Amino acid sequence: MMLAVLILIPLAAAVMVAVAPASRARSIAMVGMLGVAAMTGYLLFSFDWEHTAAQQFALDEESSRLIGPLGVSVSMSVDSISMMLVALTALLGPICVAASKTAITERVKTYYAWMLVLQSAMLGVFCARDMIFFYTCFEFTLIPMYIMISLWGSTNRKKAAAKFFLYTFTGSVIALAGIVYVAWSYADRHGTWTFDADTLMRWSRSLPAATQGWVLGALLLGFAVKVPLFPFHTWLPLAHTEAPTAGSVILAGVLLKLGTYGLVRFAMPFAPAAFVTYSPAIAAVCVVGILYGGLICWVQTDVKKLVAYSSVAHLGFCVLGLASYNVMGVTGSILYMINHGLSTGALFLLIGMVYERYHTRSMKELGGLASKMPVWSTFMVFFAMASVGLPGLNGFVSEFMCLFGAFQASDQWGAGLWGTAAGQTPGATPGHLGAWVAAIAGTGMVVAAMYLLYMVGKVVWGPLVEPAGHSSHGADTHGHGSHGQGSHGHDTHEHGGLPRDLTGREIGVLVPLAALCIFLGVYPSPVIKALKDPVALTTDEVVNFGKARTAMPLVPPANVAPAGHQDNAGHASDAGQNDVSQHKETAR
Amino acid sequence: MGFMMTLSTILATLASPIAALAQSEPVHAAPQEAGHAAEQVAHAAAHVASKIEAIAAPGVGPLWLLLIPVLPLVGFVLSALCAAFRVKSKLPAWLTVLCLGASFAVTLAMYLQLSSGQIANPSVATGFEWIKVSWGLGDAHSMVANFGLYIDSLTCLWMLFVTGLATLIGLYASEYMAGDVGAGYCRFFAAFNLFVFSMSCLVMGDNLLLLYLGWEGVGLCSYLLIGYFYKKPSAVEAGKKAFIVNRIGDLGLALGLMLTAVHFDSIEYSVIFAKAQPYLTALSEGRLGDIPAVVQLIPVLLMIGAFGKSAQLPLYVWLPDAMEGPTPVSALIHAATMVTAGVYLIARTYPLFLLSETALPIVAWTGALTALLAATIGMAQFDIKRIMAYSTVSQLGYMFAGLGVLTSGGAAFHVFTHAFFKAMLFLSCGAVMHGFAGQLDLRKLSGVGSMPGWRVVGIAMLVGCLNLAGFPVITSGYWSKDMILGEAFANPHMVAIGWILLLTAGLTAYYTFRVYFRVFVGPKYFEPGDEVHGHGGDDHGSHGADAHGHGSHGTDAHGHKAHEEHGHAGHGHDAHAHFHPHAPGWAINTVLAILAIAAFAVIGLRFVGGHEGWVSGLIEHSSANYAGHAMYAAAASHGGEHAHATFFGYDAHTAMMYVSGVVGIVGILTAFVLHYVGRTTAAKSKADALLPLVGPLAKWAQGKWYVDELYNAIIRVPLLVLAHLFHLIDKAIVDGIVDLFGWVPKFTGSSLRPSQSGALHGYALSMAGGLAVLVLIVVMVMK
Repeated sequence: MMLAVLILIPLAAAVMVAVAPASRARSIAMVGMLGVAAMTGYLLFSFDWEHTAAQQFALDEESSRLIGPLGVSVSMSVDSISMMLVALTALLGPICVAASKTAITERVKTYYAWMLVLQSAMLGVFCARDMIFFYTCFEFTLIPMYIMISLWGSTNRKKAAAKFFLYTFTGSVIALAGIVYVAWSYADRHGTWTFDADTLMRWSRSLPAATQGWVLGALLLGFAVKVPLFPFHTWLPLAHTEAPTAGSVILAGVLLKLGTYGLVRFAMPFAPAAFVTYSPAIAAVCVVGILYGGLICWVQTDVKKLVAYSSVAHLGFCVLGLASYNVMGVTGSILYMINHGLSTGALFLLIGMVYERYHTRSMKELGGLASKMPVWSTFMVFFAMASVGLPGLNGFVSEFMCLFGAFQASDQWGAGLWGTAAGQTPGATPGHLGAWVAAIAGTGMVVAAMYLLYMVGKVVWGPLVEPAGHSSHGADTHGHGSHGQGSHGHDTHEHGGLPRDLTGREIGVLVPLAALCIFLGVYPSPVIKALKDPVALTTDEVVNFGKARTAMPLVPPANVAPAGHQDNAGHASDAGQNDVSQHKETAR
Repeated sequence: MGFMMTLSTILATLASPIAALAQSEPVHAAPQEAGHAAEQVAHAAAHVASKIEAIAAPGVGPLWLLLIPVLPLVGFVLSALCAAFRVKSKLPAWLTVLCLGASFAVTLAMYLQLSSGQIANPSVATGFEWIKVSWGLGDAHSMVANFGLYIDSLTCLWMLFVTGLATLIGLYASEYMAGDVGAGYCRFFAAFNLFVFSMSCLVMGDNLLLLYLGWEGVGLCSYLLIGYFYKKPSAVEAGKKAFIVNRIGDLGLALGLMLTAVHFDSIEYSVIFAKAQPYLTALSEGRLGDIPAVVQLIPVLLMIGAFGKSAQLPLYVWLPDAMEGPTPVSALIHAATMVTAGVYLIARTYPLFLLSETALPIVAWTGALTALLAATIGMAQFDIKRIMAYSTVSQLGYMFAGLGVLTSGGAAFHVFTHAFFKAMLFLSCGAVMHGFAGQLDLRKLSGVGSMPGWRVVGIAMLVGCLNLAGFPVITSGYWSKDMILGEAFANPHMVAIGWILLLTAGLTAYYTFRVYFRVFVGPKYFEPGDEVHGHGGDDHGSHGADAHGHGSHGTDAHGHKAHEEHGHAGHGHDAHAHFHPHAPGWAINTVLAILAIAAFAVIGLRFVGGHEGWVSGLIEHSSANYAGHAMYAAAASHGGEHAHATFFGYDAHTAMMYVSGVVGIVGILTAFVLHYVGRTTAAKSKADALLPLVGPLAKWAQGKWYVDELYNAIIRVPLLVLAHLFHLIDKAIVDGIVDLFGWVPKFTGSSLRPSQSGALHGYALSMAGGLAVLVLIVVMVMK
């Protein structure tokens, strides 16, 4: 029940926002978001951290059944992977509300109501254990975001919103086709329909490798658009640039993670054999994305677009970790989801704060803000460093783990690569990536330094550049910058009610993110430990089923005789039920 | 007896010039010992094994050792708080000196306890679990990176000079940065403390990942401090360049780390060294074939990181530009400590480097060529701080060459002596820069040392220059450089490197004293620089030399007089007509005096605590040397080839004592003749007349051999073109195809227009409709 409550809190708040007067909308939204955060805190507290792989807080079967004959339910439960992402979502909620105070002054009710609905949908995605429920939440996130972009966005908002909606919608319809196919083939075999994730998962991975290939292809397409992976990323820079600040934060912080979450939660376990087979291709796409996205960042003049493109590069690392399907890479990938949400979310917040003051995002019109906004600049350098992957901050841990995961994941280790005989590379894991993939992807670390320091060098350092109309302050000649906002109250009319440097509210928005960046950089150990069991379960499934299935002949499902199919399925689901114990033993 | 003989062989191999002088050991003695080669090998192996056992089972270090990194971190937090509370006094400087001084005191205690055996050598003190990932059946494999400290004598050596010099330079900076008191002052000291913290992690970390944390951490601080004067575009560019070039090296280090983890299944030094034991044994028995290529690749990757951080070819280009930072930063980070991190890395992982047939020769050659290249550039520069920067690159080349020719003790000793005299040189240059409003051009300054109030600086500069030039016997720089030169000539495979280094020694002496004779002696003359370059940092209302409020006021009149006496009309600096150079105050003078004394005192370390001095003694009891025995034993097994190469029939070590001394003096004399004798103006010297003799070489050297331009042309520009190309492709093709698909629904969607324009929620409705249709399809399929 607790998860249902979690999802219903923002929905209830949304209804209240819609009913209450506009002047109360923000406070109600804040209360709703804080309610979610509190509930999440309670869940984190009562979560059984000894059994992190177990699905917890599950809704009982009776109350969750939705459409009986179709087997659709609202079954929900979380393991530690889901829990982490729920926590991220819950954290960003109040931050987004707080960050919208001065930016959103029109149609406030609509804005906050949709934001709360979005929160609900995102939480639903991470909690869902029914494929249709998952898909519904997954798709439903599009609507609030579409509305946020198209109503409160910048000049080109209509096009951006439409592209965002149509592109990701198209992708996910294909993913739905994959899900429905698996459910259909299950129903075809067993005579009953179900969309229960675990049941379909067990069924799906017993399918022949070629069929799995199609399932993976469908899921991958849907999720890759969402992530986004190269070459399905072009909606992202547009949507990010046009979206209001809070929209960008949610988009980068959580919405992109729906794609990576879908990959690790469903694509990998649904089609392990195909995943093993196609992991080099996935990795190649990631590596291209890392370098291509990174280099494009380097020639941007719109600072928001730069950060948007950096997401393409960053999530390339994230999915690369998944493609290595070992504990190191997948754990790193999940950490990456959280870390990217924190640091890139914060970067969007920071850019939004400058935009509110100067109404421009062009690096030609902005420069050397360190002398005017020292507090803002400190945060900017800090989060840029988190994003660049500086050790001691969060980004490094996950980036290193993703790269190292890819480095380890090669069957060639101990099989002649660089003179290694069997047993000489005990740190290696099965896979198809290896040192070269990691080395090439690793150059993305250099590229990341190039574009982020380029941005920081333009916007933070250098001689002061401000757009026309902002450059001549009386205060300029008197030594400012370090004197704080107090003495500059007279400037406020120029910045839409905001002082030159950050307000207490804005600092308050950034500090929790900064604190988490430090915490996850210095002491990620508990999080890594918490993720270990579900990650090991996933990777063991991929390795074991991948091995078993790829050995089978490639038979199209239509030609499979029903009887043979049945045996096959029965066997596989047995294996599935025992996975925790059995797979651990068979894992290398 | 055999064991003793082994020891004596090693002693002979590592024989110090003094020992050689005393006993004048006959060179031809070595072949006689060849008959005992097999016996030696066995004993060497046993020796190695016992050493490894000690290293593989480190003791448990006390937790108070964690104070060494933690105290600078406290200093960082306090300085940051000063910034937050807008402190406008020198408080952050005093807090910094206090924290760093305390850290030094703890380091000293660590050293004393280690040398008295109260702390085992090596020991590990584990703070907390940073990153631990385990996998495989029963978690058989794991990558553990604790926040733990690895304490051995190598750690002690490095930490002693890091924390010691940091304290002194912090004190110096308290005065030097006084013009920026306020936000900039806090920012400076915050980054300064963070640097010492990062450096402590780098040096003290018990695993490669913590080293990597420190490695990138010092890079960040370097970036922040180079770009301290952030309004100056060149400073911002220099900081960026340093960070990015270092990142290239860091990638090599990261890959080396990963390869280590994959092969040794650990990144903790104690485990790595233990698991390297069979290979070291194989090496000592001459079975090089038993060492797989994958092991030999590890040091090659690690050294890329070392080349980046320590500014070696081909990644040295960032260091000269790093001189944009405030001078205390140049002294501490870009001369004494951070840039020696590469030397530390190789010394720390020396056993792995020995396992590769190619790694150490590459290191030696890179070092030697870097030393020569940087020296040639240094000869042709006019900015005295840049000259010192190139000399740093060059001296780092010596250290790498030292590691490469198997004298890790010599390399470490050079690191140690260099830290003192180079810091002093930079701080002297900084005092000049501080006093003359940012002037660094040796053509615009002359006779500074004899100006009133500049005596300490002049003497410190002379001491520093003598050390850098390797003036015989009385300078520590001579003794440390000599160890490397001697070993290079003693190694039959490295004689070419010896010659390169010897030539470089001569060039070094010349360009060092070119600076001294031009700037610090001779006729008194100065042109003040553009003050803004010196203190362009923060928005403090008024700055400029006069506002600094310190320095001895008596000097001003004299300095002004000097200016008038020698000021040449027509220089067009009337704006500076009332410029008063202000001589350094007590903090700067005290620090310079301490360093000058220390630079001499360090000579003493050459003759105490071990047969090759205190530093070598420390190195010998660390990972940087124990495997060296195995290497020598391996050489011995090849029929006594470990015999010294000779320098024209003389023992190389003995010969080098004289030869390198003579070379140094020749270089100094050349500079004396060309830049002092008969020089009447600051701008010109006799050397100018000689320039046509070398043709375009001088111009090319002055242009730094156009390496920056080359890199720009072959790396940066193509990448930029590629980036723009990608951006175009992204817009035109990748997105174009999407738009093409989008065009179809747009065309067909025109009939749906009412629902789109009427209510934006239309999308919600259409989606709900779409879902309903899908559900319907499913239901129909089911039926």
